[in-house]
Amino acid sequence: MERLGGFEIFGQVMWNFAPVWIGLIVILWASIHFRSRLGLYGKLFDSPIGIAGLILVLFWVLTAIFADQIATFDALDQISGMKNKKPGWPVKDQEGLFYILGGDNLARDVFSRMVYGSREVLIIAPAATLFAFMVGITLGLPAGFYGGRMDTILSFVANLVLAFPVILLFFLLVTPEIRADGPEFELWGGQKWIASVPNLMALCLFLFPIIFFVVLWVSRYSTQPRKLAIYLAVTMVIGLWAYLGLVFNADPFGVFYMDPNLLNIFVSVVFVNSPTVYRIVRGVTIDIKTRDYVAAAQTRGERPWYIMLWEVLPNARGPLIVDFCLRIGYTTILLGTLGFFGLGVSPESPNWGQTINEGRKLLSLYPHLALPPALALMSLVLGLNLLADGLREESLKD
Amino acid sequence: MTEPILEIEDLNISFFVRAGEIPAVMDFSCKVMPGETMGLVGESGCGKSTVALGIMRDMGNRGQIVGGKIKFKGRDMGEMSQEELRDIRGSKIAMIYQEPMASLNPAMKIGKQLMEVPIIHEQVSTDEAYQRALEMLESVKLPDPARVMDSFPHQISGGQQQRIVIAMALLSKPDLLLLDEPTTALDVTVEAGIVQLVKELGEKTGTSMLFISHNLGLILETCDRITVMYSGEAVETGSVHEVFDRMRHPYTQGLFNSIPLPGADKNSRPLISIRGQLPLPMDRPIGCNFGPRCDHYVEEQCNAGPVFMNPIEGEDRHNSRCNRIDEIDWLAEPERRLVDDPARPGEVVLDIRDLKKYYDVAANQMFGGGETRTVKANEAITFQARESETVAIVGESGCGKSTLAKVLLGLETATEGEVLLGAVSIGNTEVNDRNRKTVSSVQMVFQNPFDTLNPSHSIGSQIMRTLEKFGIGDTEDDRRNRMLELLDLVKLPRAFAERMPRQLSGGQKQRIGVARAFAGQPQVVVADEPVSALDVSVQAAVTELLMDIQREAKTTMLFISHDLSVVRYIADRVVVMYLGHIVEQGTTDHIFSPPYHPYTEALLSAIPIADTSVEKQHIVLDGDIPSALNPPSGCPFQTRCPRKAEVAGDLCETEMPPARSLGDGHEVKCHLSQAVFDAMQPVIVLGKKDAGKSDKKSDSAPAALTSSTAPAKAKASSAKTSAKKPAVKKPAARKDASPPKMRKPSKPDDLKLISGVGPKIEGILNGLGVYQFQQVAKWKKAECDWVDDHLSFKGRIGREGWVKQAKALAKGGAAK
Repeated sequence: MERLGGFEIFGQVMWNFAPVWIGLIVILWASIHFRSRLGLYGKLFDSPIGIAGLILVLFWVLTAIFADQIATFDALDQISGMKNKKPGWPVKDQEGLFYILGGDNLARDVFSRMVYGSREVLIIAPAATLFAFMVGITLGLPAGFYGGRMDTILSFVANLVLAFPVILLFFLLVTPEIRADGPEFELWGGQKWIASVPNLMALCLFLFPIIFFVVLWVSRYSTQPRKLAIYLAVTMVIGLWAYLGLVFNADPFGVFYMDPNLLNIFVSVVFVNSPTVYRIVRGVTIDIKTRDYVAAAQTRGERPWYIMLWEVLPNARGPLIVDFCLRIGYTTILLGTLGFFGLGVSPESPNWGQTINEGRKLLSLYPHLALPPALALMSLVLGLNLLADGLREESLKD
Repeated sequence: MTEPILEIEDLNISFFVRAGEIPAVMDFSCKVMPGETMGLVGESGCGKSTVALGIMRDMGNRGQIVGGKIKFKGRDMGEMSQEELRDIRGSKIAMIYQEPMASLNPAMKIGKQLMEVPIIHEQVSTDEAYQRALEMLESVKLPDPARVMDSFPHQISGGQQQRIVIAMALLSKPDLLLLDEPTTALDVTVEAGIVQLVKELGEKTGTSMLFISHNLGLILETCDRITVMYSGEAVETGSVHEVFDRMRHPYTQGLFNSIPLPGADKNSRPLISIRGQLPLPMDRPIGCNFGPRCDHYVEEQCNAGPVFMNPIEGEDRHNSRCNRIDEIDWLAEPERRLVDDPARPGEVVLDIRDLKKYYDVAANQMFGGGETRTVKANEAITFQARESETVAIVGESGCGKSTLAKVLLGLETATEGEVLLGAVSIGNTEVNDRNRKTVSSVQMVFQNPFDTLNPSHSIGSQIMRTLEKFGIGDTEDDRRNRMLELLDLVKLPRAFAERMPRQLSGGQKQRIGVARAFAGQPQVVVADEPVSALDVSVQAAVTELLMDIQREAKTTMLFISHDLSVVRYIADRVVVMYLGHIVEQGTTDHIFSPPYHPYTEALLSAIPIADTSVEKQHIVLDGDIPSALNPPSGCPFQTRCPRKAEVAGDLCETEMPPARSLGDGHEVKCHLSQAVFDAMQPVIVLGKKDAGKSDKKSDSAPAALTSSTAPAKAKASSAKTSAKKPAVKKPAARKDASPPKMRKPSKPDDLKLISGVGPKIEGILNGLGVYQFQQVAKWKKAECDWVDDHLSFKGRIGREGWVKQAKALAKGGAAK
């Protein structure tokens, strides 16, 4: 069988991404059609930069969703004789199948690994950013609103975390000694939990989303006990269930589970991202709390947490949404960097940073190993940055 | 004939945005002669600032002059090169902006900024530039010019900053000075000083000026000629006296009817607001822009095609953009909605005794110790407010009026003293510690409409949250209904419940603010300058609404304001504050007639009044309001008091004057002797004939309006004036001629179908027991006259042929 030429490779890639193209067209058509009813998202279509960013981000999101349909092989499939083969190389003994972008040093399909890599990134990065936002908001709001000693202490801690070199922090958190060190606790059903530094951090950080939602509902619905009870019950059940699963690995139903490696990475990313979010929220809160509508809320007897969460926070959404997009980008790069240093989720996982690192060693001989994941990483981060720019531009026009 | 300095012919300026072309100024012409001051007046968004920017040719990349010419000293500026324009800007034409701080470079010493002007434009030496700058600072009456030259802009006060900006503009000896709302950001007494300075400089240097303002009173004080703008067009232009006394455009007339001139009275001579709101530039009507809001609108005459400036017969250079100049009865008294049952003050609701509020400001935050300084925001505040009463709290920025409001609302607690709401002491209870009833009893209407509603929540949900907090309504549906009723109360459509605040205009937002404040049947409502941020024509409507609701709910209102004309109109009693002290309090009559506290006297003299028949004493205070951090010893006002010399010795500097009663609840804190008080002359004299009280004014107002018009006009209108006898008395004389009444039928006719009858008049007619066309059709002359008098229409019923119309309508109804 012949090796594929340049155009054929391009055609194959395009063809494999067919589900993504269809999804893109459907989403864009629907969005443009209903843009007048979609608020800020609809306005994004007024800005060319925003559209470009949105398309790039959507492309990777859809790739992550349809990874099983797009990828030609499994991420871990090794086929003998395909080691370091050039792009477009036909697979031995299998009619019509190619390693479209070539094979890597362990004879795995580069294209498929890139596609599956998007899944890794697009699950961890937004989730970690979301958790960082929960922590940052829950601490930033009172610091900005009350000011005084609380603000001084929290800001000092935030500066401390920010001043610590991130990579060093990661190395520390991920070292086996630190991970395994700590008193052991016996949980029910023979489960064990080690009170190591990363585990303790997870214990603290994963509590914040639950606190956030409980305070959110209590402050809003304290005058309507029945509604409050329903919201609280739902929050507590889902929250504690997920908490048990993620922190103690003790979910009785096995739905929530996080690989210990992944938990480390996740906790570290949340930990280093939340101080920045904290600072943004604090600054915006200081600005917004002087507005008349905050005074109006006070004069009708609203409690501080209601004012923070329902009067101040919704009006801080502009800068927060923009920062959310940017921060997913930073987190993506951070995950790439971690993978590059071998701190990835697992040695054989297809995440982009790790793949780039492996490809780097053979870069002068086989550039096709490192280039696809590098380009993928770049385009996703570029898309997120453009999207953030577009959102900022459009939200200012409001 | 001399050549005009500035001549604008048919100027059209448009902004090009994504939505397309937005015309900002259309068909604008004006002429400014040497030494003349032209006033440009209009509401926000009418294009007055755009004209100024057009003259400077500084409209950013979106604005463009699409037609017309601007000639400066006879030369078309459109034909000048960029070089020439740059040469003219700043040297021949200078501009002064609203925010002084924004026009000065905060990183550069004032002296250096001033010296730049002659150095750049005239290439003089540094020494000479310094000399000139120093002289100019002296001529704008800045104390200690050498020190000012060596300071940074933030080290001097706002009033001084504006003087610097004026000095900078005048340094280049311009031929034309553009002033864009130069005093809007300043306090009233400081404003008076700047206005006087501008006037004097104009006379001394002979500079022509274009004075842009929304304040008619200021225009009257500073300008020779005036151009009134509305929705991008000049609607009336002429000399100040022509336009103020013989206005010939319904919009100009509407403006004058909606500002509280002396003589307006909330019960007998209420303000008349212009209905509707300014059209957006995208959906201006065909024909007359003012048409949809105009009472004299006639189909086909006003909306047929573009309306042009028409000259007014017998008056040179007085033009009006109205097609019906000769048809409208300009002297007719407009229909006013009189209040039959003015509110009577009842029991004392709010009793404030010796209230003090101090703030501690640590001199050094880092190292707690050191000295702490105390800001005495409120000092010994004592006054009472009764049910249904409106108490105005007057003072300039920093006088402590907002702190007082905060203490009342529980956002701060009092340092000393007591605040009693009924029998409950609230001075030391924070709002979170107050019970639900107390919280809903004291509510506030905020100043800035763009800040008072949370932009993230819909109107309905914000009001419903308030109701929820006040424990009104048991279910969600109850509250929704109550919320809709509140929208009705503030005269907004119920559909607004679903809207977001950004979809509302300023006036509408302020109405929501009023609805929210009155949601929990409050006993006391604190209104903190509720209309000062609104446009003139909207102000009247919101003020009236506020007073109506207050009267019906018998609420006590504390009306915080710096504007004494509004206070005179709305308040029953007035409290004048200065640097945390109440310097004078009493009924409105006490405050507005002598004897005065010297500060009240100065305040009264400082308010610009848009009435040519008013004569004022000019008292201009020196300097600025002292900082509350470092108040003067003795009497707080002694540093600026023009009457300090009349007190023997250094009493003013050493001793705080005690509260002194001048009888009948009129209290003054001043060392002046009784003899001086007795000899005080009124500051504002109305007309020459009646120097009297505001109530009398309602009857004699038509006379006062015509008193200063030209003799010829006065003669022509004398017949009409005589027909305009006080409208109030007539109904009594002809009581028997009232039209026959009936009980409200199940299906009353829509009387609004009669042209000339609006919803308001329909309401009045229904009140008279008139519900059907049949009834109107049967009116004889006597009934018509009676109703005419009742509505004070001056024969409008006959002119508009109501009876004839009603007959036709009645027939049509029967045929149906």
